[in-house]
Amino acid sequence: MLFSPGWRANVRQGEVLAVFALGLLLGGVLSGAVVWVLSGLAAPLPDTARTVSILLVAAVGVARELGWVTVPLPQNARQIPQEVLQFRLRRGALQFGFEMGTGVRTYVSASAPYVLALGLLLSHQGLGACLAVGAAFGAGRALSSALTFWARDPDRDAAIGARMPWIRNATALTALTALALLSAL
Amino acid sequence: MREVVPAGRLRRALTEPLLPVPVLALLAVAAAALDATVLCWAAVGALAGFSLSGSV
Repeated sequence: MLFSPGWRANVRQGEVLAVFALGLLLGGVLSGAVVWVLSGLAAPLPDTARTVSILLVAAVGVARELGWVTVPLPQNARQIPQEVLQFRLRRGALQFGFEMGTGVRTYVSASAPYVLALGLLLSHQGLGACLAVGAAFGAGRALSSALTFWARDPDRDAAIGARMPWIRNATALTALTALALLSAL
Repeated sequence: MREVVPAGRLRRALTEPLLPVPVLALLAVAAAALDATVLCWAAVGALAGFSLSGSV
């Protein structure tokens, strides 16, 4: 992994992490802006229909993570090419982060990002809110990389892999709970 | 190659991959309860980003 111990490049790993995180934030902000533009399509729908749809999407997200239903995700099943990082490390890390931050350039195997995008689209938030949520999405991805960097654990990959089901289940359940609470108030 | 110093107990605890989940989940639910819509969506957004952990 990019931020695991054993770094050999002549650029400091922390510097690459900072540039990568910036790319993630920018990518997330771009996706937030796109969701905001698309959310105009949901504006004519009645409030009740939008609320019910959001909660339905979040509930399907939970059911999918718990293995109760199988929902094929419309993900871009391609990896970002390794060459992006081979020649100009800082610029490559920025590009790599940006592409990952958009959430549409590579694999997105968890349900929560889809619940987030559809929910945000259906709820028709303001531009500032969509940009902030996009940035938060990028920050969440950056947090994972930062923890890997700070952990200095050669077995980090396995540690994350073992916890992924918990992380995904808890995330899907939180999205449903928080959005249900938000719509009830 | 730089020598890798083994992580101590505190570092291991603070970088536990599960740790951000309850923190962000509490933030999302608390924000929803307080009707802080944008903060709630942002916390769910951060969780959604974090749920893609492990790729880099």
